[in-house]
Amino acid sequence: MGWGEVKRGIRRINYLVCAIGMATIIPLMLLTFADVMLRGFFNKPIPGTFELSQYILAVFILLGAAYTQQVKGHVGVNFITSRLSPHSRAICEIVTTLLSLFIIAILVWQGWVEGITEKTVSDQLRIPQYPFRMLVAVGGFLLWLELLIDLFGAFGKLRRNES
Amino acid sequence: MTPVAAGIAGSFLLLILLFLGMPIAFVMMFVGFLGISYLASVHAALPVVAKTVYATAAYYPYTIIPLFVLMGAFAGGAGITAKLYGSFDRWFRKLPGGLGIATIAACAFFAALSGSSVAAAAAMGTIAVPEMKRFKYDPALAVGVVAAGGTLSFLIPPSLGFVVYGMLTEQSIGKLLVSGILPGLLLALAFVAVIVVKVKLNPVLAPATPGGVAWKEKFRALGGVWETLLVFLIVMGGIYLGFVNPTEAGAIGTTALFVIVISKLKLTWKSLSAALLEATRISVLVLFLVAGANVFSYFLALSTIPASVSTWMAGLKISPYAVLAILVFIYVLLGCFLDAISMMVLTMPVIFPVIKTLGFDPIWFGVVCVIMMEAGLITPPVGLNVYTLAGVVKEVPMETIFRGSIPFLFAMIGVVILVTVFPGIALYLPSMMGR
Repeated sequence: MGWGEVKRGIRRINYLVCAIGMATIIPLMLLTFADVMLRGFFNKPIPGTFELSQYILAVFILLGAAYTQQVKGHVGVNFITSRLSPHSRAICEIVTTLLSLFIIAILVWQGWVEGITEKTVSDQLRIPQYPFRMLVAVGGFLLWLELLIDLFGAFGKLRRNES
Repeated sequence: MTPVAAGIAGSFLLLILLFLGMPIAFVMMFVGFLGISYLASVHAALPVVAKTVYATAAYYPYTIIPLFVLMGAFAGGAGITAKLYGSFDRWFRKLPGGLGIATIAACAFFAALSGSSVAAAAAMGTIAVPEMKRFKYDPALAVGVVAAGGTLSFLIPPSLGFVVYGMLTEQSIGKLLVSGILPGLLLALAFVAVIVVKVKLNPVLAPATPGGVAWKEKFRALGGVWETLLVFLIVMGGIYLGFVNPTEAGAIGTTALFVIVISKLKLTWKSLSAALLEATRISVLVLFLVAGANVFSYFLALSTIPASVSTWMAGLKISPYAVLAILVFIYVLLGCFLDAISMMVLTMPVIFPVIKTLGFDPIWFGVVCVIMMEAGLITPPVGLNVYTLAGVVKEVPMETIFRGSIPFLFAMIGVVILVTVFPGIALYLPSMMGR
Protein backbone atom coordinates (compact mmCIF):
# COMPACT_ATOMS: atom_id res chain seq x y z
CA MET A 1 0.00 0.00 0.00
CA GLY A 2 1.60 3.27 -1.12
CA TRP A 3 1.58 6.67 0.57
CA GLY A 4 -0.97 7.94 -1.96
CA GLU A 5 -3.49 5.36 -0.81
CA VAL A 6 -2.82 6.00 2.88
CA LYS A 7 -3.32 9.72 2.25
CA ARG A 8 -6.58 9.15 0.41
CA GLY A 9 -7.67 6.81 3.21
CA ILE A 10 -7.00 9.39 5.93
CA ARG A 11 -8.81 12.10 4.00
CA ARG A 12 -11.78 9.81 3.40
CA ILE A 13 -11.98 8.92 7.11
CA ASN A 14 -11.75 12.58 8.13
CA TYR A 15 -14.52 13.49 5.71
CA LEU A 16 -16.76 10.72 7.04
CA VAL A 17 -16.04 11.65 10.65
CA CYS A 18 -16.91 15.26 9.85
CA ALA A 19 -20.13 14.11 8.14
CA ILE A 20 -21.14 12.26 11.33
CA GLY A 21 -20.38 15.36 13.41
CA MET A 22 -22.15 17.81 11.17
CA ALA A 23 -25.31 15.69 11.00
CA THR A 24 -25.80 16.35 14.73
CA ILE A 25 -26.54 20.02 14.15
CA ILE A 26 -30.04 19.35 12.75
CA PRO A 27 -31.13 17.45 15.90
CA LEU A 28 -29.58 20.26 17.97
CA MET A 29 -31.65 22.82 16.07
CA LEU A 30 -34.87 20.80 16.40
CA LEU A 31 -34.23 20.01 20.07
CA THR A 32 -33.77 23.67 20.99
CA PHE A 33 -36.79 24.66 18.89
CA ALA A 34 -38.97 22.01 20.51
CA ASP A 35 -37.74 23.01 23.97
CA VAL A 36 -38.71 26.66 23.41
CA MET A 37 -42.12 25.74 21.97
CA LEU A 38 -42.98 23.29 24.76
CA ARG A 39 -41.81 25.76 27.37
CA GLY A 40 -43.68 28.68 25.80
CA PHE A 41 -47.02 27.00 25.08
CA PHE A 42 -47.27 24.19 27.63
CA ASN A 43 -44.78 25.29 30.27
CA LYS A 44 -43.07 21.90 29.88
CA PRO A 45 -39.45 22.37 28.79
CA ILE A 46 -37.46 19.30 27.66
CA PRO A 47 -35.23 18.32 30.58
CA GLY A 48 -31.51 18.47 29.88
CA THR A 49 -31.71 20.53 26.68
CA PHE A 50 -28.91 22.75 27.90
CA GLU A 51 -26.42 19.97 28.66
CA LEU A 52 -27.38 17.95 25.57
CA SER A 53 -26.70 21.06 23.46
CA GLN A 54 -23.25 21.37 24.98
CA TYR A 55 -22.41 17.74 24.28
CA ILE A 56 -23.73 17.98 20.72
CA LEU A 57 -21.67 21.13 20.08
CA ALA A 58 -18.56 19.33 21.37
CA VAL A 59 -19.19 16.41 18.96
CA PHE A 60 -19.86 18.79 16.08
CA ILE A 61 -16.74 20.91 16.60
CA LEU A 62 -14.21 18.24 17.59
CA LEU A 63 -15.17 15.85 14.78
CA GLY A 64 -15.03 18.70 12.26
CA ALA A 65 -11.56 19.95 13.22
CA ALA A 66 -9.62 17.63 10.88
CA TYR A 67 -11.87 18.21 7.89
CA THR A 68 -11.55 21.97 8.39
CA GLN A 69 -7.78 21.58 8.07
CA GLN A 70 -8.32 19.42 4.97
CA VAL A 71 -10.08 22.29 3.19
CA LYS A 72 -7.52 24.77 4.64
CA GLY A 73 -10.26 26.28 6.76
CA HIS A 74 -7.95 27.22 9.67
CA VAL A 75 -7.03 30.64 8.32
CA GLY A 76 -3.51 32.01 8.15
CA VAL A 77 -1.83 35.04 6.62
CA ASN A 78 -0.41 34.26 3.17
CA PHE A 79 0.16 37.89 2.30
CA ILE A 80 3.95 37.59 2.58
CA THR A 81 4.54 33.91 1.80
CA SER A 82 2.65 34.24 -1.51
CA ARG A 83 5.35 36.67 -2.65
CA LEU A 84 8.25 34.29 -1.85
CA SER A 85 9.91 31.86 -4.25
CA PRO A 86 8.34 28.37 -4.29
CA HIS A 87 11.45 27.06 -2.53
CA SER A 88 11.27 29.51 0.42
CA ARG A 89 7.51 29.08 0.59
CA ALA A 90 7.93 25.31 0.97
CA ILE A 91 10.47 25.87 3.77
CA CYS A 92 8.08 28.25 5.60
CA GLU A 93 5.35 25.65 5.24
CA ILE A 94 7.57 22.90 6.68
CA VAL A 95 8.58 25.00 9.69
CA THR A 96 5.06 26.18 10.54
CA THR A 97 3.53 22.73 9.98
CA LEU A 98 6.11 21.17 12.31
CA LEU A 99 5.19 23.70 15.02
CA SER A 100 1.48 23.01 14.45
CA LEU A 101 2.16 19.26 14.72
CA PHE A 102 3.96 19.89 18.02
CA ILE A 103 1.15 21.86 19.66
CA ILE A 104 -1.58 19.52 18.37
CA ALA A 105 0.42 16.54 19.68
CA ILE A 106 0.28 18.14 23.12
CA LEU A 107 -3.46 18.69 22.65
CA VAL A 108 -3.93 14.97 21.83
CA TRP A 109 -1.77 13.72 24.69
CA GLN A 110 -3.31 15.98 27.31
CA GLY A 111 -6.80 15.50 25.90
CA TRP A 112 -6.34 11.77 26.44
CA VAL A 113 -5.03 12.25 30.00
CA GLU A 114 -7.93 14.58 30.81
CA GLY A 115 -10.42 12.18 29.23
CA ILE A 116 -9.43 9.03 31.14
CA THR A 117 -9.42 10.84 34.49
CA GLU A 118 -12.72 12.68 34.00
CA LYS A 119 -15.44 11.45 36.40
CA THR A 120 -18.03 14.24 36.08
CA VAL A 121 -21.58 13.50 34.96
CA SER A 122 -24.06 16.08 33.66
CA ASP A 123 -26.41 17.72 36.17
CA GLN A 124 -29.84 16.57 34.99
CA LEU A 125 -29.47 13.51 32.80
CA ARG A 126 -26.38 12.11 34.55
CA ILE A 127 -24.56 11.56 31.22
CA PRO A 128 -20.84 11.00 31.87
CA GLN A 129 -18.56 13.65 30.45
CA TYR A 130 -15.51 11.50 29.68
CA PRO A 131 -16.56 10.19 26.22
CA PHE A 132 -16.94 13.78 25.05
CA ARG A 133 -13.65 14.84 26.64
CA MET A 134 -12.05 11.89 24.83
CA LEU A 135 -13.16 13.43 21.54
CA VAL A 136 -10.51 16.14 22.11
CA ALA A 137 -7.90 13.40 21.71
CA VAL A 138 -9.75 11.67 18.85
CA GLY A 139 -10.48 14.85 16.86
CA GLY A 140 -7.03 16.19 17.70
CA PHE A 141 -5.37 13.01 16.44
CA LEU A 142 -7.25 13.15 13.12
CA LEU A 143 -6.26 16.82 12.82
CA TRP A 144 -2.64 15.78 13.53
CA LEU A 145 -2.80 13.22 10.69
CA GLU A 146 -4.15 15.89 8.36
CA LEU A 147 -1.24 18.16 9.29
CA LEU A 148 1.14 15.25 8.68
CA ILE A 149 -0.21 14.98 5.13
CA ASP A 150 0.47 18.70 4.73
CA LEU A 151 4.02 18.20 6.00
CA PHE A 152 4.76 15.46 3.46
CA GLY A 153 3.15 17.62 0.80
CA ALA A 154 5.49 20.50 1.67
CA PHE A 155 8.54 18.19 1.52
CA GLY A 156 7.29 16.98 -1.86
CA LYS A 157 7.11 20.57 -3.14
CA LEU A 158 10.66 21.19 -1.90
CA ARG A 159 11.99 18.11 -3.71
CA ARG A 160 10.21 18.97 -6.94
CA ASN A 161 11.76 22.46 -6.86
CA GLU A 162 15.26 21.10 -6.33
CA SER A 163 15.11 18.47 -9.07
CA MET B 1 13.35 38.23 31.48
CA THR B 2 10.71 40.14 33.36
CA PRO B 3 7.13 39.03 32.70
CA VAL B 4 6.53 42.12 30.54
CA ALA B 5 9.66 41.42 28.45
CA ALA B 6 8.52 37.80 28.03
CA GLY B 7 5.12 39.06 26.93
CA ILE B 8 6.68 41.36 24.33
CA ALA B 9 8.98 38.57 23.09
CA GLY B 10 5.98 36.26 22.81
CA SER B 11 4.02 38.84 20.86
CA PHE B 12 6.92 39.25 18.42
CA LEU B 13 7.19 35.49 17.97
CA LEU B 14 3.44 35.46 17.32
CA LEU B 15 3.79 38.09 14.60
CA ILE B 16 6.71 36.28 12.92
CA LEU B 17 4.93 32.93 12.83
CA LEU B 18 1.78 34.68 11.63
CA PHE B 19 3.59 36.15 8.65
CA LEU B 20 5.26 32.81 7.91
CA GLY B 21 1.74 31.59 7.22
CA MET B 22 1.06 29.38 10.26
CA PRO B 23 -2.70 29.01 10.92
CA ILE B 24 -3.60 31.74 13.42
CA ALA B 25 -5.37 29.46 15.87
CA PHE B 26 -2.32 27.16 16.13
CA VAL B 27 0.08 30.12 16.44
CA MET B 28 -1.80 31.47 19.42
CA MET B 29 -1.95 28.04 21.09
CA PHE B 30 1.76 27.44 20.42
CA VAL B 31 3.04 30.83 21.62
CA GLY B 32 0.61 30.77 24.54
CA PHE B 33 1.92 27.34 25.54
CA LEU B 34 5.56 28.47 25.37
CA GLY B 35 4.77 31.64 27.32
CA ILE B 36 2.86 29.87 30.09
CA SER B 37 5.67 27.29 30.34
CA TYR B 38 8.18 30.11 30.80
CA LEU B 39 6.18 32.34 33.15
CA ALA B 40 4.54 29.59 35.23
CA SER B 41 5.83 26.06 34.58
CA VAL B 42 5.71 23.39 31.87
CA HIS B 43 3.60 21.34 34.23
CA ALA B 44 1.03 24.14 34.40
CA ALA B 45 1.16 24.80 30.66
CA LEU B 46 0.66 21.23 29.40
CA PRO B 47 -3.06 20.78 30.13
CA VAL B 48 -4.07 24.34 29.18
CA VAL B 49 -4.58 23.77 25.44
CA ALA B 50 -6.64 20.57 25.81
CA LYS B 51 -8.73 22.08 28.63
CA THR B 52 -9.40 25.27 26.67
CA VAL B 53 -10.33 23.44 23.47
CA TYR B 54 -12.88 21.29 25.32
CA ALA B 55 -14.24 24.23 27.33
CA THR B 56 -14.71 26.23 24.11
CA ALA B 57 -16.19 23.37 22.10
CA ALA B 58 -18.71 22.46 24.81
CA TYR B 59 -19.89 25.94 25.83
CA TYR B 60 -23.62 26.42 25.37
CA PRO B 61 -23.70 30.03 24.06
CA TYR B 62 -21.42 29.05 21.16
CA THR B 63 -24.08 26.75 19.65
CA ILE B 64 -25.36 29.97 18.10
CA ILE B 65 -22.49 30.02 15.58
CA PRO B 66 -23.43 27.00 13.43
CA LEU B 67 -27.08 28.06 13.70
CA PHE B 68 -26.38 31.56 12.36
CA VAL B 69 -24.34 30.15 9.48
CA LEU B 70 -27.13 27.69 8.64
CA MET B 71 -29.70 30.51 8.65
CA GLY B 72 -27.79 32.27 5.89
CA ALA B 73 -27.26 29.06 3.93
CA PHE B 74 -30.95 28.08 4.09
CA ALA B 75 -32.05 31.62 3.19
CA GLY B 76 -29.77 31.56 0.15
CA GLY B 77 -30.95 28.05 -0.75
CA ALA B 78 -34.61 29.13 -0.62
CA GLY B 79 -33.91 31.76 -3.26
CA ILE B 80 -34.73 34.58 -0.83
CA THR B 81 -31.82 36.72 -2.10
CA ALA B 82 -33.13 36.77 -5.66
CA LYS B 83 -36.65 37.56 -4.45
CA LEU B 84 -35.43 40.44 -2.27
CA TYR B 85 -33.49 41.91 -5.17
CA GLY B 86 -36.50 41.58 -7.46
CA SER B 87 -38.76 43.39 -4.98
CA PHE B 88 -36.41 46.27 -4.30
CA ASP B 89 -35.62 46.68 -7.98
CA ARG B 90 -39.30 47.47 -8.61
CA TRP B 91 -39.32 50.09 -5.87
CA PHE B 92 -36.03 51.84 -6.50
CA ARG B 93 -35.32 51.54 -10.22
CA LYS B 94 -36.37 55.15 -10.94
CA LEU B 95 -33.87 56.62 -8.45
CA PRO B 96 -30.35 57.59 -9.56
CA GLY B 97 -28.27 54.41 -9.44
CA GLY B 98 -31.49 52.54 -8.70
CA LEU B 99 -30.15 49.04 -9.31
CA GLY B 100 -27.29 49.78 -6.89
CA ILE B 101 -29.76 50.99 -4.26
CA ALA B 102 -31.85 47.87 -4.77
CA THR B 103 -28.69 45.80 -4.26
CA ILE B 104 -27.88 47.54 -0.98
CA ALA B 105 -31.46 47.14 0.24
CA ALA B 106 -31.48 43.45 -0.69
CA CYS B 107 -28.10 42.97 1.06
CA ALA B 108 -29.43 44.71 4.19
CA PHE B 109 -32.49 42.47 4.28
CA PHE B 110 -30.44 39.36 3.56
CA ALA B 111 -28.16 40.47 6.41
CA ALA B 112 -31.20 40.23 8.67
CA LEU B 113 -31.18 36.47 8.04
CA SER B 114 -27.50 35.73 7.67
CA GLY B 115 -24.56 35.92 10.00
CA SER B 116 -21.70 35.83 7.52
CA SER B 117 -20.94 38.33 4.81
CA VAL B 118 -19.44 36.00 2.22
CA ALA B 119 -22.81 34.34 1.54
CA ALA B 120 -24.35 37.72 0.71
CA ALA B 121 -21.51 38.81 -1.57
CA ALA B 122 -21.55 35.52 -3.45
CA ALA B 123 -25.33 35.47 -3.88
CA MET B 124 -25.67 39.11 -4.93
CA GLY B 125 -22.67 38.76 -7.23
CA THR B 126 -24.56 36.25 -9.33
CA ILE B 127 -27.87 38.15 -9.27
CA ALA B 128 -27.21 41.91 -9.16
CA VAL B 129 -23.96 42.27 -11.09
CA PRO B 130 -25.33 40.79 -14.36
CA GLU B 131 -28.39 43.07 -14.06
CA MET B 132 -26.26 46.19 -13.56
CA LYS B 133 -24.10 45.13 -16.49
CA ARG B 134 -27.17 44.70 -18.66
CA PHE B 135 -28.14 48.32 -17.99
CA LYS B 136 -24.59 49.55 -18.72
CA TYR B 137 -23.56 50.46 -15.18
CA ASP B 138 -19.92 51.30 -14.61
CA PRO B 139 -18.26 47.93 -13.66
CA ALA B 140 -16.36 49.43 -10.72
CA LEU B 141 -19.56 50.86 -9.25
CA ALA B 142 -21.49 47.63 -9.81
CA VAL B 143 -18.99 45.34 -8.08
CA GLY B 144 -18.16 47.93 -5.38
CA VAL B 145 -21.82 48.06 -4.38
CA VAL B 146 -22.02 44.30 -4.01
CA ALA B 147 -18.71 43.96 -2.12
CA ALA B 148 -19.70 46.72 0.33
CA GLY B 149 -23.33 45.64 0.61
CA GLY B 150 -22.22 42.14 1.54
CA THR B 151 -20.42 43.47 4.61
CA LEU B 152 -23.76 44.56 6.10
CA SER B 153 -24.28 40.94 7.22
CA PHE B 154 -21.51 41.49 9.69
CA LEU B 155 -23.30 44.38 11.42
CA ILE B 156 -27.02 43.72 11.01
CA PRO B 157 -28.04 40.86 13.33
CA PRO B 158 -27.77 37.91 13.28
CA SER B 159 -24.07 38.61 13.11
CA LEU B 160 -21.06 36.41 13.81
CA GLY B 161 -18.97 39.53 14.50
CA PHE B 162 -21.00 40.40 17.61
CA VAL B 163 -21.05 36.79 18.78
CA VAL B 164 -17.25 36.60 18.69
CA TYR B 165 -16.87 40.04 20.28
CA GLY B 166 -19.26 38.98 23.02
CA MET B 167 -17.32 35.75 23.60
CA LEU B 168 -13.97 37.49 23.87
CA THR B 169 -15.13 40.34 26.10
CA GLU B 170 -17.82 38.55 28.13
CA GLN B 171 -20.53 40.99 27.12
CA SER B 172 -24.18 40.02 26.60
CA ILE B 173 -24.49 38.63 23.07
CA GLY B 174 -28.19 39.52 23.02
CA LYS B 175 -27.50 43.18 23.79
CA LEU B 176 -24.72 43.31 21.22
CA LEU B 177 -26.95 41.86 18.51
CA VAL B 178 -29.70 44.36 19.26
CA SER B 179 -27.18 47.23 19.32
CA GLY B 180 -26.25 46.47 15.70
CA ILE B 181 -29.74 47.14 14.27
CA LEU B 182 -29.77 50.96 14.07
CA PRO B 183 -26.09 51.38 13.04
CA GLY B 184 -26.70 48.69 10.41
CA LEU B 185 -29.62 50.64 8.96
CA LEU B 186 -27.58 53.84 9.12
CA LEU B 187 -24.70 52.20 7.28
CA ALA B 188 -27.07 50.90 4.60
CA LEU B 189 -28.41 54.46 4.18
CA ALA B 190 -24.84 55.80 4.01
CA PHE B 191 -24.09 53.29 1.22
CA VAL B 192 -27.21 54.47 -0.62
CA ALA B 193 -26.06 58.08 -0.18
CA VAL B 194 -22.67 57.20 -1.67
CA ILE B 195 -24.37 55.73 -4.74
CA VAL B 196 -26.74 58.68 -5.19
CA VAL B 197 -23.95 61.26 -4.83
CA LYS B 198 -21.65 59.40 -7.20
CA VAL B 199 -24.34 59.04 -9.85
CA LYS B 200 -25.51 62.67 -9.48
CA LEU B 201 -21.92 63.86 -9.96
CA ASN B 202 -21.31 61.58 -12.90
CA PRO B 203 -24.54 60.29 -14.49
CA VAL B 204 -22.57 58.17 -16.99
CA LEU B 205 -21.79 55.72 -14.16
CA ALA B 206 -25.37 54.52 -13.99
CA PRO B 207 -27.74 55.18 -16.91
CA ALA B 208 -31.38 55.40 -15.84
CA THR B 209 -33.23 52.09 -16.11
CA PRO B 210 -35.98 52.35 -18.75
CA GLY B 211 -39.53 51.24 -18.09
CA GLY B 212 -41.78 52.38 -15.24
CA VAL B 213 -43.34 50.12 -12.67
CA ALA B 214 -47.04 50.43 -11.88
CA TRP B 215 -48.00 50.90 -8.23
CA LYS B 216 -49.98 47.71 -8.32
CA GLU B 217 -46.88 45.79 -9.28
CA LYS B 218 -44.83 47.59 -6.65
CA PHE B 219 -47.17 46.44 -3.91
CA ARG B 220 -47.29 42.94 -5.28
CA ALA B 221 -43.46 42.93 -5.16
CA LEU B 222 -43.59 43.44 -1.40
CA GLY B 223 -44.56 39.77 -1.24
CA GLY B 224 -40.89 38.94 -1.70
CA VAL B 225 -40.01 40.65 1.56
CA TRP B 226 -42.48 39.30 4.10
CA GLU B 227 -40.70 35.99 4.84
CA THR B 228 -37.49 37.82 5.65
CA LEU B 229 -39.23 40.37 7.86
CA LEU B 230 -41.22 37.69 9.67
CA VAL B 231 -38.17 35.55 10.49
CA PHE B 232 -36.17 38.62 11.53
CA LEU B 233 -38.96 39.89 13.78
CA ILE B 234 -39.39 36.50 15.45
CA VAL B 235 -35.65 36.06 16.04
CA MET B 236 -34.73 39.57 17.13
CA GLY B 237 -38.11 40.23 18.78
CA GLY B 238 -37.65 37.12 20.89
CA ILE B 239 -34.22 38.29 22.02
CA TYR B 240 -35.36 41.88 22.52
CA LEU B 241 -38.33 41.03 24.68
CA GLY B 242 -36.32 38.50 26.65
CA PHE B 243 -38.52 35.51 25.74
CA VAL B 244 -35.57 33.50 24.43
CA ASN B 245 -31.80 33.62 24.67
CA PRO B 246 -29.84 34.30 21.47
CA THR B 247 -29.07 30.59 20.92
CA GLU B 248 -32.75 29.68 21.17
CA ALA B 249 -33.60 32.52 18.81
CA GLY B 250 -31.00 31.16 16.38
CA ALA B 251 -32.58 27.71 16.59
CA ILE B 252 -36.06 29.14 15.92
CA GLY B 253 -34.81 31.17 12.96
CA THR B 254 -32.94 28.20 11.51
CA THR B 255 -35.93 25.90 11.94
CA ALA B 256 -38.23 28.46 10.30
CA LEU B 257 -35.92 28.84 7.30
CA PHE B 258 -35.45 25.06 7.17
CA VAL B 259 -39.23 24.67 6.88
CA ILE B 260 -39.35 27.41 4.22
CA VAL B 261 -36.65 25.68 2.15
CA ILE B 262 -38.41 22.31 2.44
CA SER B 263 -41.84 23.77 1.62
CA LYS B 264 -40.41 25.29 -1.56
CA LEU B 265 -39.01 21.87 -2.49
CA LYS B 266 -35.60 23.48 -2.79
CA LEU B 267 -33.79 21.23 -0.34
CA THR B 268 -31.59 18.63 -2.01
CA TRP B 269 -29.06 16.34 -0.39
CA LYS B 270 -26.38 18.31 -2.15
CA SER B 271 -27.50 21.71 -0.89
CA LEU B 272 -28.10 20.40 2.64
CA SER B 273 -24.65 18.82 2.89
CA ALA B 274 -23.05 21.95 1.40
CA ALA B 275 -24.83 24.06 4.03
CA LEU B 276 -23.76 21.73 6.85
CA LEU B 277 -20.15 21.59 5.64
CA GLU B 278 -20.10 25.39 5.49
CA ALA B 279 -21.50 25.57 9.03
CA THR B 280 -18.88 23.09 10.24
CA ARG B 281 -15.98 24.86 8.56
CA ILE B 282 -16.89 28.30 9.90
CA SER B 283 -17.78 27.08 13.41
CA VAL B 284 -14.57 25.06 13.77
CA LEU B 285 -12.52 27.96 12.42
CA VAL B 286 -14.11 30.45 14.82
CA LEU B 287 -14.04 28.23 17.90
CA PHE B 288 -10.42 27.16 17.36
CA LEU B 289 -9.53 30.85 16.99
CA VAL B 290 -11.37 31.63 20.21
CA ALA B 291 -9.69 28.70 22.00
CA GLY B 292 -6.31 29.91 20.70
CA ALA B 293 -7.10 33.44 21.85
CA ASN B 294 -8.01 32.16 25.33
CA VAL B 295 -4.71 30.28 25.64
CA PHE B 296 -2.81 33.31 24.42
CA SER B 297 -4.75 35.66 26.74
CA TYR B 298 -3.83 33.46 29.68
CA PHE B 299 -0.16 33.95 28.78
CA LEU B 300 -0.64 37.71 28.27
CA ALA B 301 -2.39 37.99 31.64
CA LEU B 302 0.61 36.27 33.29
CA SER B 303 2.90 38.73 31.51
CA THR B 304 0.83 41.63 32.96
CA ILE B 305 0.93 43.37 29.56
CA PRO B 306 -2.80 44.20 29.29
CA ALA B 307 -2.77 45.82 32.73
CA SER B 308 0.47 47.71 32.02
CA VAL B 309 -0.77 49.00 28.68
CA SER B 310 -4.04 50.15 30.25
CA THR B 311 -2.28 51.94 33.09
CA TRP B 312 0.12 53.54 30.66
CA MET B 313 -2.72 54.65 28.39
CA ALA B 314 -4.70 56.04 31.31
CA GLY B 315 -1.58 57.91 32.50
CA LEU B 316 -1.13 59.60 29.14
CA LYS B 317 -2.74 62.99 29.28
CA ILE B 318 -4.46 62.67 25.93
CA SER B 319 -8.13 62.56 25.10
CA PRO B 320 -9.69 59.07 25.04
CA TYR B 321 -11.06 60.03 21.63
CA ALA B 322 -7.52 60.47 20.30
CA VAL B 323 -6.78 56.91 21.48
CA LEU B 324 -9.97 55.76 19.81
CA ALA B 325 -8.95 57.43 16.54
CA ILE B 326 -5.58 55.65 16.71
CA LEU B 327 -7.31 52.32 17.36
CA VAL B 328 -9.62 52.84 14.38
CA PHE B 329 -6.59 53.62 12.24
CA ILE B 330 -4.82 50.47 13.48
CA TYR B 331 -7.91 48.43 12.62
CA VAL B 332 -7.97 49.84 9.09
CA LEU B 333 -4.31 48.83 8.69
CA LEU B 334 -4.79 45.36 10.20
CA GLY B 335 -7.88 44.86 8.06
CA CYS B 336 -5.66 45.13 5.01
CA PHE B 337 -4.11 41.74 5.64
CA LEU B 338 -6.13 39.92 8.32
CA ASP B 339 -9.61 38.49 8.08
CA ALA B 340 -12.29 39.93 10.36
CA ILE B 341 -12.57 37.26 13.05
CA SER B 342 -8.79 36.77 13.34
CA MET B 343 -8.33 40.50 13.69
CA MET B 344 -10.75 40.65 16.59
CA VAL B 345 -9.32 37.58 18.25
CA LEU B 346 -5.73 38.86 18.01
CA THR B 347 -6.35 42.41 19.25
CA MET B 348 -9.09 42.09 21.87
CA PRO B 349 -6.94 40.70 24.74
CA VAL B 350 -4.96 43.95 24.82
CA ILE B 351 -7.38 46.49 23.38
CA PHE B 352 -10.47 45.64 25.41
CA PRO B 353 -8.89 46.41 28.83
CA VAL B 354 -7.69 49.74 27.39
CA ILE B 355 -11.20 50.58 26.19
CA LYS B 356 -12.64 49.78 29.61
CA THR B 357 -9.97 51.85 31.39
CA LEU B 358 -10.70 54.81 29.13
CA GLY B 359 -14.34 54.60 30.20
CA PHE B 360 -15.93 53.69 26.85
CA ASP B 361 -19.10 51.61 26.87
CA PRO B 362 -18.23 47.98 25.97
CA ILE B 363 -21.41 47.46 23.91
CA TRP B 364 -20.82 50.69 22.01
CA PHE B 365 -17.22 49.71 21.30
CA GLY B 366 -18.51 46.38 20.00
CA VAL B 367 -20.42 48.29 17.32
CA VAL B 368 -17.38 50.39 16.37
CA CYS B 369 -15.23 47.30 16.31
CA VAL B 370 -17.62 45.32 14.11
CA ILE B 371 -17.84 48.21 11.62
CA MET B 372 -14.03 48.27 11.45
CA MET B 373 -14.01 44.50 10.89
CA GLU B 374 -16.41 45.07 7.98
CA ALA B 375 -14.00 47.60 6.51
CA GLY B 376 -11.32 44.91 6.61
CA LEU B 377 -13.46 42.75 4.32
CA ILE B 378 -13.06 45.18 1.42
CA THR B 379 -9.60 46.75 1.90
CA PRO B 380 -6.71 45.67 -0.38
CA PRO B 381 -4.59 43.58 -0.66
CA VAL B 382 -6.60 41.00 1.33
CA GLY B 383 -10.37 41.46 1.45
CA LEU B 384 -12.49 38.36 1.88
CA ASN B 385 -15.59 39.82 0.23
CA VAL B 386 -13.58 41.03 -2.74
CA TYR B 387 -12.00 37.59 -3.15
CA THR B 388 -15.41 35.94 -2.99
CA LEU B 389 -16.84 38.35 -5.52
CA ALA B 390 -13.86 37.93 -7.84
CA GLY B 391 -14.55 34.19 -7.74
CA VAL B 392 -18.18 34.73 -8.78
CA VAL B 393 -17.82 37.62 -11.25
CA LYS B 394 -14.94 36.32 -13.35
CA GLU B 395 -14.84 39.06 -16.00
CA VAL B 396 -14.06 41.93 -13.58
CA PRO B 397 -10.43 42.15 -12.34
CA MET B 398 -9.83 42.21 -8.59
CA GLU B 399 -8.29 45.71 -8.71
CA THR B 400 -11.56 47.09 -10.11
CA ILE B 401 -13.49 45.59 -7.21
CA PHE B 402 -11.11 47.11 -4.66
CA ARG B 403 -11.28 50.47 -6.46
CA GLY B 404 -15.06 50.33 -6.57
CA SER B 405 -15.28 49.60 -2.82
CA ILE B 406 -13.19 52.57 -1.65
CA PRO B 407 -16.02 55.15 -1.51
CA PHE B 408 -17.97 52.76 0.72
CA LEU B 409 -15.00 52.54 3.06
CA PHE B 410 -15.42 56.27 3.69
CA ALA B 411 -19.10 55.68 4.41
CA MET B 412 -18.05 53.17 7.11
CA ILE B 413 -15.65 55.65 8.69
CA GLY B 414 -18.41 58.26 8.53
CA VAL B 415 -20.80 55.95 10.41
CA VAL B 416 -18.11 55.23 13.04
CA ILE B 417 -17.79 58.99 13.60
CA LEU B 418 -21.58 59.40 13.82
CA VAL B 419 -21.90 56.53 16.29
CA THR B 420 -19.10 58.09 18.37
CA VAL B 421 -20.72 61.53 18.42
CA PHE B 422 -24.19 60.08 19.06
CA PRO B 423 -23.62 56.85 21.03
CA GLY B 424 -27.39 56.54 21.39
CA ILE B 425 -27.53 55.15 17.83
CA ALA B 426 -25.91 52.00 19.19
CA LEU B 427 -27.08 52.07 22.80
CA TYR B 428 -30.71 53.21 22.69
CA LEU B 429 -32.24 49.88 21.62
CA PRO B 430 -30.23 47.65 24.01
CA SER B 431 -31.00 50.02 26.90
CA MET B 432 -34.71 49.30 26.41
CA MET B 433 -34.37 45.53 26.36
CA GLY B 434 -36.62 43.25 28.39
CA ARG B 435 -33.81 41.46 30.19
